Amino acid sequence: MANRILNGGLLLSLALLAACANQQSAQVLADAEAGFQQVKEDPDVLRSAPKDVIRAGESLARAERLSSYWGSAADVEHYAYLSQRYSQIARQHTELNLNQERLAKLELERDRLQLALREAKLLSAQQWPEGQTVDLAASETDRGLVMTLGDVLFNAGSSELNASANRTILKLVQFLQINPRRTIRIEGYTDNRGPAEENLELSRARAQAVADLLTDLGIDARRMEVKGYGEAHPLAENASARGRAQNRRVEIVISDERGRLGDYR
Amino acid sequence: MNRLLTLGLTLLAVAGCANDPAPHEQMRLTHQAVEQARAIGADPQIEEMRLAEKKLARAEKNMGEEDYKRARVFAEQAELDARLAEARVLNQKSQKQLDELNARITRLRKQLGEM
Repeated sequence: MANRILNGGLLLSLALLAACANQQSAQVLADAEAGFQQVKEDPDVLRSAPKDVIRAGESLARAERLSSYWGSAADVEHYAYLSQRYSQIARQHTELNLNQERLAKLELERDRLQLALREAKLLSAQQWPEGQTVDLAASETDRGLVMTLGDVLFNAGSSELNASANRTILKLVQFLQINPRRTIRIEGYTDNRGPAEENLELSRARAQAVADLLTDLGIDARRMEVKGYGEAHPLAENASARGRAQNRRVEIVISDERGRLGDYR
Repeated sequence: MNRLLTLGLTLLAVAGCANDPAPHEQMRLTHQAVEQARAIGADPQIEEMRLAEKKLARAEKNMGEEDYKRARVFAEQAELDARLAEARVLNQKSQKQLDELNARITRLRKQLGEM
């Protein structure tokens, strides 16, 4: 009889202890169930990450099975945690998959627009030269082949190229398409009027505008470097308006046939 | 007397379960998952990556103490923490690509509109 009472007491205290742990594991289990419920009913998830959903379900079933046993609260929490993670991973993989599908669609759209832009520029460029040879109007310097875009090709004080730049840019695009291994460095320069900081910024912005346009016309951005030099390396004296106009320019340094560019100046 | 024996046997059985085999394969998998997440750019700024590294360290400590049950639990959780961190980083990257592409398409449309 005394034994029985003792045993009863022991069982009761064990039960109380277990109840405490069970409350927490019940919460974790409920969270995992809710997480699984969400992914298993989402057709996008089922299509993109079926394996993760299956594993989430398996871990959850294990946690549920264990939850009916005494003293297994820690194991229940563990498998509920794993299930929850698999559901989250499934969700992330689905999002990734959807993004990749969106990217593929947008890339087609970009290509279509690039083609349209190239055609439009071609139409607007007057006296487009005949034949396959491209005369770049570039000069050989100690830095290699350098092509200069003069100040008149930009809107005053702005980094936006105007329509008269189309012809030169298209020539460059054609040249780069014929010479797929060559790369370029686009360098911006200004005159010395105004704060040096702003000039540096403008020179960089103009160089970047040229790079953006080339990218829009289908040249891989990885083939271009962009650098702003501000008022450094003037071509002429900054004393006269004429000299200053000469100094405001974008130079395009063309690499050798193997894509190697010289060092920065 | 019989009851005590049953209780004793049950306790023994439970204790026996704790004597798990060393989870070498799981440790290898977890190391691999953490390495892979790190290689694609997951850093401890991502919460799950922080958890993965912490739990892997705990698992290794438990391995050293021959507490294989705990080692396996921590290693299994760390593996999934790392995989989730990796998926998050990949997602962030694809989101950035999408943003860039959208910006470019907007720019192209604007240019075409101006011509």
